[in-house]
Amino acid sequence: MDVRSQISMVFHLDKCIGCHTCSIACKNIWTDRKGTEYMWWNNVETKPGTGFPTKWEDQEKYKGGWEKKNGSINLRSTGKGRVVSNIFHHPHQPSMNDYYEPWTYKYDELFNAPEGNDQPTARPVSMVTGNPMDIEAGPNWDDDLSGSPVYAQNDPNFKNLTAEQKAQLFAIERLVFFYFPRICNHCLNPSCVASCPSGALYKRGEDGIVLIDQENCRGWRSCVAACPYKKTYYNWQTGKSEKCILCFPRIESGQAPACFHSCVGRIRYLGVLLYDADMIEDVANTPDDELVEAHRAMVLDPHDPEVIRGAQSNGLHDHVIEAAQKSPVYKFVKEWGIALPPHIEYRTLPMLFYVPPMLPVMTTMDGDAKKNMNEGLFPDFDKARVPMEFLANLFSAGNTGKLRYALKKQMAVRQYRRAVTVGDIAMEAAKKMLIEADCSIEEAEGIYNLTSLCTFDERFVIPPSNREEAIEMMKDPLEYKQSVGFGLREEPERGA
Amino acid sequence: MRRFTVKRRGTKSASGSVWTIILLLPLFFSSLLSAQVPAEYFKQNCSSCHTIGGGRLTGPDLKNLADRQSRDWLINWMLDPEGVLKSGDPYSAKLQKEARGAVMTRSPGMTRNLAVALLDLIDEESKLDKSQFAGTQISDRPLLPEDIAEGRALFLGTMKLKNGGPSCVGCHTVNSMQGLGGGRLGLNLTRAYARLEGRKGLSAWLVSPPSLVMNPIFKEYPIDEEEVLPLVAFLKNETERDEPENATAMINFLLYGIGGAVVLLVLFDLLWNKRFRAVRQPMVSESYHK
Repeated sequence: MDVRSQISMVFHLDKCIGCHTCSIACKNIWTDRKGTEYMWWNNVETKPGTGFPTKWEDQEKYKGGWEKKNGSINLRSTGKGRVVSNIFHHPHQPSMNDYYEPWTYKYDELFNAPEGNDQPTARPVSMVTGNPMDIEAGPNWDDDLSGSPVYAQNDPNFKNLTAEQKAQLFAIERLVFFYFPRICNHCLNPSCVASCPSGALYKRGEDGIVLIDQENCRGWRSCVAACPYKKTYYNWQTGKSEKCILCFPRIESGQAPACFHSCVGRIRYLGVLLYDADMIEDVANTPDDELVEAHRAMVLDPHDPEVIRGAQSNGLHDHVIEAAQKSPVYKFVKEWGIALPPHIEYRTLPMLFYVPPMLPVMTTMDGDAKKNMNEGLFPDFDKARVPMEFLANLFSAGNTGKLRYALKKQMAVRQYRRAVTVGDIAMEAAKKMLIEADCSIEEAEGIYNLTSLCTFDERFVIPPSNREEAIEMMKDPLEYKQSVGFGLREEPERGA
Repeated sequence: MRRFTVKRRGTKSASGSVWTIILLLPLFFSSLLSAQVPAEYFKQNCSSCHTIGGGRLTGPDLKNLADRQSRDWLINWMLDPEGVLKSGDPYSAKLQKEARGAVMTRSPGMTRNLAVALLDLIDEESKLDKSQFAGTQISDRPLLPEDIAEGRALFLGTMKLKNGGPSCVGCHTVNSMQGLGGGRLGLNLTRAYARLEGRKGLSAWLVSPPSLVMNPIFKEYPIDEEEVLPLVAFLKNETERDEPENATAMINFLLYGIGGAVVLLVLFDLLWNKRFRAVRQPMVSESYHK
């Protein structure tokens, strides 16, 4: 057992209102520079929809992630031999057309236009060329456009769905959608790291954050092609690639990352997971339908004395183990089993999990009376507008069992809480549902609390970063004790 | 820590200059060596235009050179022939006239000391009955059609030069060549036989080519004496045929170039056929046209 720690995340999709505050918070802090205009380290997509970059989930085209072949896994986009033949032009590179051409407006034309019969307008100009342009696409171009025959109908997650199921999703007055916020998943088996010819990408030992070393990056862009989530981006100004850094300067000072901190719907949770690094290769190799379970099995119980011993012998600080014990992510993922990884079939073992969305309570107005369209108070998810297979393609590699389990448990908790607070559902029936959903009353209360009443400190359990210990691993602090007291930015000519 | 960095950097630069000196040493010695053997230098650089007691080639016979001009004038001339000519010197103008317009080239690596050594050598050799530089010993036998064929093969490289020198066609062409012709880096040799004033001059040139480009190459891999005559025969034949320059060769060259580029582009397209192509624009336009 090789116990390591990973800062992991849960996004509770039922709470996401699609306000894009996270994206803006991230943009303002990190990607508001020349060369990064088109990057959205955090973005929010509408599902069904094609996302950003367009149809990123279609790996037949983008060639991201790993492919299981002959008993082992290989990168889809590159390999030891192909690195050489493709070194001057990577053939699986998305172009600006598949992201979007960033633009701004000539606002001064609003004020400086000569007097005339028409309202002055601000023309859009490209932030890349500076020329006037026609806007054809944007990072959330299909926002709220469920039912769009252009975007929603081309969602790659419709594979394996019957024509009937598809038609049902697009019927008039039955349109439905949910939001899907995305950041870098800080995977355990990151294909971006594996693909880099310069070895510039690395996974931080102490907390598993995946970073690109800006000094070693040579701009080959292999990571851009290899990341199946398209979360590394090429900065055309610096000639190097960049990605979400999980706001590590904030994490190291005990603050939640900007997108987490600013989240209006409070959908985001962050905490430490302890995992067994010896299992990575085997887990990444398991068949599609067992992937979710195998991935979950890697996550270790931070209360288990053996795990704690393993963590301590690997140099994990007691603070980190304590944080892992309080981690909200551990509860959602392992204890309750209601958070699922996105597209685990890419085999990068993402460490960002999603609580799948419950389906909307559907009512119609019949004259003045509101009429519930469901038989009970809450919808039956087998008759739901969003087919189970669609969600399963997104969150459990097509395994509807895992998804059903997560939805059923959430449903049972709602019924139970309805019985407790309103009382129009019989407590006996609610408890029966809980048992059917494999959920105890304590667990139901736990889910309810962490979903609805959670405080800031419950959502974000950030371990102290113990930078001093990280430094001790690389250098001996006593080395400096008797040497020059002050460091110098520039050496004096006579020598220091 | 910083102190160590500074020290390390210091030793690094010192060792750097030591290495530079070591690497430069062979260069230093080689120039010394070549200066020490003026006879070798004469053979390689002078003998293609000059003999000592063998009669005129492109340049005059150098026997008893000291009787014709002062040593100072000769040294200046050897160091910078163009300069002396431009200064309006009457004797150099006369030389140019005698050589039918050709001016002596500035020999590679010429220095004052070397010029003195060479002049001493010429004086020594002039005293001998038969100097070692009396001219190349190329047979006087008549040129045969077989010689022309062999010369053509040597020129085109279908027959390799015996000492491993590069074949003429790599840099030179003649008008009778079909297709793309030969190389364009060097001169067109159609009229080389006439230009170098016949068999003797051309042979001397081929034995040790004096031009700045050919000299260093053929110094190490000289054309064998037995190969000289066939090449002379071939070039003589070319001069006699005196065919006009093939105007279509240049156009063909361009067309072949364009054709080759197209073939390569098609090949690259097939080789990287599965590359990423646009996703959004085709998706959008397809949806609108459904």
